[in-house]
Amino acid sequence: MFFLSFLRIVKFGLQDISRNIWLSVVTVIILILALFSINMLLVVKVVGEAAIGAVKSKIDVSLYVKPEAPEKEILALKAELSNISSVKSVRYISQEEALEIFKKTKSNNPEVLTALRELDKNPLSPTLVITPKSSDNMEILTHELNKIESSIIDSRDFSNYKIMLDRINAVTDRVTQAGLILAGILIFITLMVIFNSVRVAIYTHNAEISIMRLVGASNSFIYMPFLLSGLVYSFVGVMAIVLFFYPFLSLLQPYLEAFFVGYNVNIVNYFNEHFFIIFGLEFLGIALVNILASYFAARKYAQV
Amino acid sequence: MIKLFNVYKSYCAGHPILKDINLHIKPGEFVSVVGQSGSGKTTLVKLLIGEERVDKGKVVIGGWDITRLSRREVPDLRRQIGVIFQDFKLLPKKTLFENVAFALEVCGQSGKRIKAIVPHVMKIVGLEDKANRYPHEVSGGEKQRVAIARALVHSPKVLLADEPTGNLDAINAGEITDLLLHINKFGTTVILVSHNKEIVNRLNRRVITIDNGAIVSDRENGKYLL
Repeated sequence: MFFLSFLRIVKFGLQDISRNIWLSVVTVIILILALFSINMLLVVKVVGEAAIGAVKSKIDVSLYVKPEAPEKEILALKAELSNISSVKSVRYISQEEALEIFKKTKSNNPEVLTALRELDKNPLSPTLVITPKSSDNMEILTHELNKIESSIIDSRDFSNYKIMLDRINAVTDRVTQAGLILAGILIFITLMVIFNSVRVAIYTHNAEISIMRLVGASNSFIYMPFLLSGLVYSFVGVMAIVLFFYPFLSLLQPYLEAFFVGYNVNIVNYFNEHFFIIFGLEFLGIALVNILASYFAARKYAQV
Repeated sequence: MIKLFNVYKSYCAGHPILKDINLHIKPGEFVSVVGQSGSGKTTLVKLLIGEERVDKGKVVIGGWDITRLSRREVPDLRRQIGVIFQDFKLLPKKTLFENVAFALEVCGQSGKRIKAIVPHVMKIVGLEDKANRYPHEVSGGEKQRVAIARALVHSPKVLLADEPTGNLDAINAGEITDLLLHINKFGTTVILVSHNKEIVNRLNRRVITIDNGAIVSDRENGKYLL
């Protein structure tokens, strides 16, 4: 009996989809557009995180070494720094190299270059540029650097880096918060669009629902085909968005690569790696909204 | 078969649509319920199919007290009473066959039984050759025949017809009335709600007249009085 009822519910649900094909198509299109918005939001999030990561990866600290320090000792210090767990890399900039870089960066400032020429000696110190593994570990890194005892270190004032990092973190935190709020609002609007589209679709069946009730159909016979249709729409919508969105991502990828030169930003890979979690959650989300909307709408018209 | 005891029903306080209705319809009877628009005829039908609840009084159908019927019990009641309406109430996206079969499917009847019964009922109403058409492909009279087939398909003891000829021309109305008489011959209790004077007078059966929410006349072999 249960199996027979289940089969009939499946039959009625599929019949409802096929015999109201334009309504079904419109419902699926609305779902596809809604899912496209959600996936675009995800793309913006991933790209935003990549941009923040790119900014943070530029953060490094410099340790200035006494100009008279022998190169052998500087290289030993470099090796010591490289062994610190929170250090990603250490780059040694010799006095000469530092002077070259300085000249290059001040090439548009003849007064500075003239003053430099008037000096008898190279005023710049050899430098060890330390890149942290993560900007979040900056605090630990500066603490470790302060602990190093070496007579060749000329300056180790990291307060400027802390201020700069705090500012960057404050900005990125605000951007993340604003992004979350915006994403929340957009997802809410999208879900409301789906919810109301399904309700409108079921509204067109209101006479049918009341007739079903009048000929003695139980609630399950009335609701279940609509819930099943909702599940089918959700599944078709998610499959369709997979088919449409990947070509779109492939088109987008070259522009992202051009924009983030030197950084590994691969949006297609991101979607590949998170395929089941992204599209699985999207299916569950819209299926739930679909089922709830179908249930409430069908229930309303079945009060006969 | 159907008993109503001191039934009162109102949609807004102080304005009862049915007042102190006492009624006893015996099994196998053919009863016409007549009255002007707004007299309370359709409300009476709604009480009998569990669409509305009485404010006061008692309604019993086949020994089942449906006065305080729960929502869950309503489908069971409707599977035991055949109902036809003025506007046919057919499912537009189902064929005529599927419309009739639907009443059996919701009862959990087997596919084999449905395939055996539905063509038979379609034959009784004279639509066996149009079973695969959709409601919009047939005439009003044919739609009403399908509605009758659907109401009959689970062999109800009672057939309630609420203005079944209201949307039909005289010829179709006559045919539908003949069909109801034919069904009644097989022992089904038929309650015909109508304000069609000619049809009611032609039937020459029991006529209950409702006026202003009250039964003003109840006569065997009666006539349309209003």
